[in-house]
Order: sequence, then structure tokens, then C-alpha cells
Amino acid sequence: MTTVSVASGKGGAGKTSIATALAVSIAAVPGETCTVADCDVDAANGAIALDARERVRFPYFAGPGFTIKASACTACGCCIQACRFDAIRKSIDGQSYAIVPELCERCGACLDTCPSGAVTMYEKQAGEFFVADTAPGPILVYAELEPGEDTSGKLVRVVRDRAGQLASDASVIVVDSAPGIGCPVIASLSGVDLAIIVVEASVSGIRDARRLVDLVRSMKRKAIAIMNKTGLSANMDARARTMLAETGIPLAGEIPFDPVLRATEESGKTWFSIEGEVGDRVMATIEAVGGVISAMRRKESSAVVMKEKL
Amino acid sequence: MREPRAAVIAIASGKGGTGKTTIAAHLALACSRSHKTVLVDLDVEAPDASGYFPKAMLLEEAEPVQIPIPSFLPQRCTGCGLCAKSCRFGAIVALGGVVSLSKELCKGCGRCVSVCPASALEEIKMTVGCTSSFTAGKLGLLEGRMEVGDIRSTAVIEAAKRRATAYDAAIQIRDCPPGVSCSATHSIEGADYVILVAEPTEFSLHDLSAAIKLTKSRGIPTGVVINRDGFGSADIAGFCADKFVPVIGRIAFLRSRAESGASASLWSSDVPFMDEMDKIATTVLESVSRRVLA
Repeated sequence: MTTVSVASGKGGAGKTSIATALAVSIAAVPGETCTVADCDVDAANGAIALDARERVRFPYFAGPGFTIKASACTACGCCIQACRFDAIRKSIDGQSYAIVPELCERCGACLDTCPSGAVTMYEKQAGEFFVADTAPGPILVYAELEPGEDTSGKLVRVVRDRAGQLASDASVIVVDSAPGIGCPVIASLSGVDLAIIVVEASVSGIRDARRLVDLVRSMKRKAIAIMNKTGLSANMDARARTMLAETGIPLAGEIPFDPVLRATEESGKTWFSIEGEVGDRVMATIEAVGGVISAMRRKESSAVVMKEKL
Repeated sequence: MREPRAAVIAIASGKGGTGKTTIAAHLALACSRSHKTVLVDLDVEAPDASGYFPKAMLLEEAEPVQIPIPSFLPQRCTGCGLCAKSCRFGAIVALGGVVSLSKELCKGCGRCVSVCPASALEEIKMTVGCTSSFTAGKLGLLEGRMEVGDIRSTAVIEAAKRRATAYDAAIQIRDCPPGVSCSATHSIEGADYVILVAEPTEFSLHDLSAAIKLTKSRGIPTGVVINRDGFGSADIAGFCADKFVPVIGRIAFLRSRAESGASASLWSSDVPFMDEMDKIATTVLESVSRRVLA
């Protein structure tokens, strides 16, 4: 099994478009299978692009949260003293305290200190994850986190684990990562064979990709880059290339800014199906990435053969 | 009497790359012409607002954001493992009387310290990011920045929110991270109004739906700005009408805007665009003042 993860730092750089096109291009090869793990659980769009048909769904539990029973609360204020996250507020009538779930880090410090047993634990469904078949071929595992819920990193691991269980040893898993460089992104990159860094050719895109490069390096992951939305500013294109050259990340290809590409953010459309010159440029880039993945797999399988011989 | 405080306007979106930072930067610029305004970059994983103000001057040294993490005093530790049991973040492991800490997982809640019967834990500070304060002409700019490899974005966001109050500004514009989980929720918490930036694509529509659900659950008045209007065919306005969320601005897609946007050039001389910013600011401030006075 080979796992590649598409990340960008900046949002809207083209991760989902590239991840889905890559997955469809791999699955289009006779005998190949591909699984997509859509790990942007806050904003999962893989199911739209791949026209997913849900096969099975599972509830996701994030772990226990805490709540204060107003009737048992004496408003002594012990919990507010113990909370380091400013997540406890006095109720409007001043007779009790309440936890703001959006600010609560779920550490449980309030539970320890409450002298009247008013703090209780609860377990609430924080989202769902799905396994789906898709029209263009790849199996898709994706999730929907309940808005305002915590623990997106944990849900990323759940999605990746499920994708790993479904994928055969010989297949490729494409992880579509969240924007940023935080907890869900680290969970999306951990242990992957290849990080595909999408660099939007803009000031913000380059700044954010640079931070992602540092993260990928600290995690000791092999990486290649794709530049997206090129041709808007020759200066930005040059700066993106320079940044990649200086950090030693090989560039697989450049995809121009073209409204045709953005217009594919619709049901059942991926960049794999785009025709004409821009479609050719996209496919040349995707195939270059595919080539790197194939080379890695050949190396891996020959290593397995070597091991078996020994 | 109510303490006079800043009107806090958060610019958010479900989907990344819809134009949050562009709109936050220009809205702040528009507001700074008539009010003391601070732009607060809460997208601490990918802080880009300062990219629009390359001439901004750093006011003082970056202030580190630190959280208290435990440090073990081995001579006192009895290896009882209560600290590991109390930690809900999996940051402490106690095996065979040996206790070890993964400090990158610690959130600094202090629970382990308070449960330790042997007083074998003391707290030391760990830096997870920093906040930097700039000035760009009349506009104040405060940037939160999480360290690469860290996961404690919310600690940096809360620190930046606290520091932003020191500006004593009349208007605070927050540039929020994408998504609808902890970073986004912390960023909109305490805001008087949330502007959700969407673009007319199905991806954006889907993510906008989650973002509206979030702001509604927090009870924060919300308006939508349609960016890159005319770029795709998804019916953002129709969706907003169904959800009773007003569309408070539209920014037409122009290739020239995409070009200068790539270079993070300010569009101050783009008259229709700046007019739209003024209109959005007026709408939002009216809504906020109505609520505050009511």
C-alpha cells in the first residue's frame, strides 16, 4: 500500500481538484485500484467532485465532553478557577455556571474540583464518516464533522484507518488534507509515503507552502510540489519556483490559472475530464506525479521481493 | 453602563481560499479611514494578512505565546500513574512506574499537576507561537502565528484575541481560519458579526452551509459576501435566502483582480471594489450598533 497526501498550507490552492484528478487517473489504469481519504473533514468536497454514492455510514464520537447541571450547581466558582481555557461562564441569572462547549478543551479539570458533583460527562456524536463508491472509480472515505466540534485530527485518523482497511496491499491511497499546518494536517501527513505540496503562485500561497515545507521536513516525509494558478503574475511564478528550488522540493508541473478549471468545482467533475490545452497541462502534471508514485511502488515491491528472498 | 468596546467583525468561511484575507484587509482599510481600526490575523496556521501591508512597521518585538506544561521532579515521583490517568490528551504515559510526557500533545490544562499526590510535577512554560503587533498607516495589525509542527492553534488564537483588546480600537476586524472546527469556533467567539465569504462554486456552497450552521449555533449575526461573483454557477444567493442569511456584498470576478490579488497588492484604487467595502462596512456596523444599543 502506498499513501500520498495532498496538502497546501493555504486554503483554496487546489488540493481537492488535484487529489481527485490524481486518484481518477490512477484508477483509470487497468488493474489499478485507488482509495481517496478526504481528510478535510471541516469542508469535505471530495464527495461532490467524485459524485459519490454512499455505501455505508458510521457515527463518529470525539470522546466525552463536560457539562454543568444547573440544578446541582451552587455557583461556588471552583470550576471557573480550575478552567484554564476561559470556557466557563456564569449563567444570566447568576445562580449557576455553564460550560461553553466551543471553548472547552475537554480536559476535565472542572470535574475534579466541583464539590457538589454538578459537572458531568456526556458523550455526543461529533460527526459521521462514510464509505462511498464513485462514478469515476476510486472508493471514497470521507467525513462530516458537526460544525463547532473539536478533534478534527482524531477524525482524520479515523478516515485514514478506514481507507487503509479497505485498500488492498497493492493499491494507492490518496489523502486530501485540510488547509493550514495544524492538527488535522499533521494527522493527514503522518506516515505517508509522499507529500504532494500544492503551491498557489501568490504571496499568500508561497508563504503558507513554505511553512508546510518546514512541517513536511520536520516529519521527514518525501515531498514533491505542484504549482497551481500560474500565469497571473510572472513575478509570483518565479518566486514560487525559487522557493521550491531553495528548499529542494522537486516540481512536478505547473497548472495555469484558468476559469475553466475553477468551473469544475461541481458534481461529478474532476480535472481528469477536462479537454483542450489546459486539460493537457493538468494531465501532464498529474502524470508526472503518477510517475513518481509508480517509481516508489516499484522500489517498494522490489524491496519486498528482496526481503522474501532473504 | 456598558464599557465602550470595539465592534468585532469576524471574516470567516467554510472553504479556504474564498477571499477571507483579501476582504478582511480591505474592509479594515476602509474602516480605518473613519474609525480607529485593528486587523487581527487569527489564521495562525497560515497568517497572510500582513502580506497585504509589506510596509507595515513592527511596533515591538513579537510576544511569545506560552502554555504551562508539566515538568517531572523524578526524586519525588512515586510512579503511581495518576497523572497519566488524569490526562485526556494522551500526553502522559506511565508504564511500570516510569512516567513520560509528550509535550507536543499537552494542552496545559494543569490537571496532572493538581492530581499528583507527591507534588512531583511543576509547571514550566512552553512556547507554541507568537503575536506581533504592526502599524500600517492608520491601521493597526496584530498577527497570531503558531509555530510549525505545533497543534495548539487555539492557544495562539486566544492570546491574539486578548492582545487585540489592548489596541483600544473602535473596530476590530478578525481574519479567521477556514473550516468549522476548533480554530474557526475560537476565532468567531466573541464577535458581534460574522461575514462569511463564499464564491459561486458547489464546493464553496457546501462549506458555506456548515459555516452558517456554526454561526447560527453560536447566535452571532451573519451576512454573506459573494466573492468572484460570476465565476461559477452555484446559487449562493438562493441558498442564503433559504437560510434567512442576508447577502451583504458582491465582488465581481475580474481577471485583473486575480492578477493583482496574487501579488497581494491592495486594491485601494479599485473604486467599485472599495465602494463595495464601504457598503459592507456600513451594513455591518449598523447591524452591530442596533444590537448593542438595543
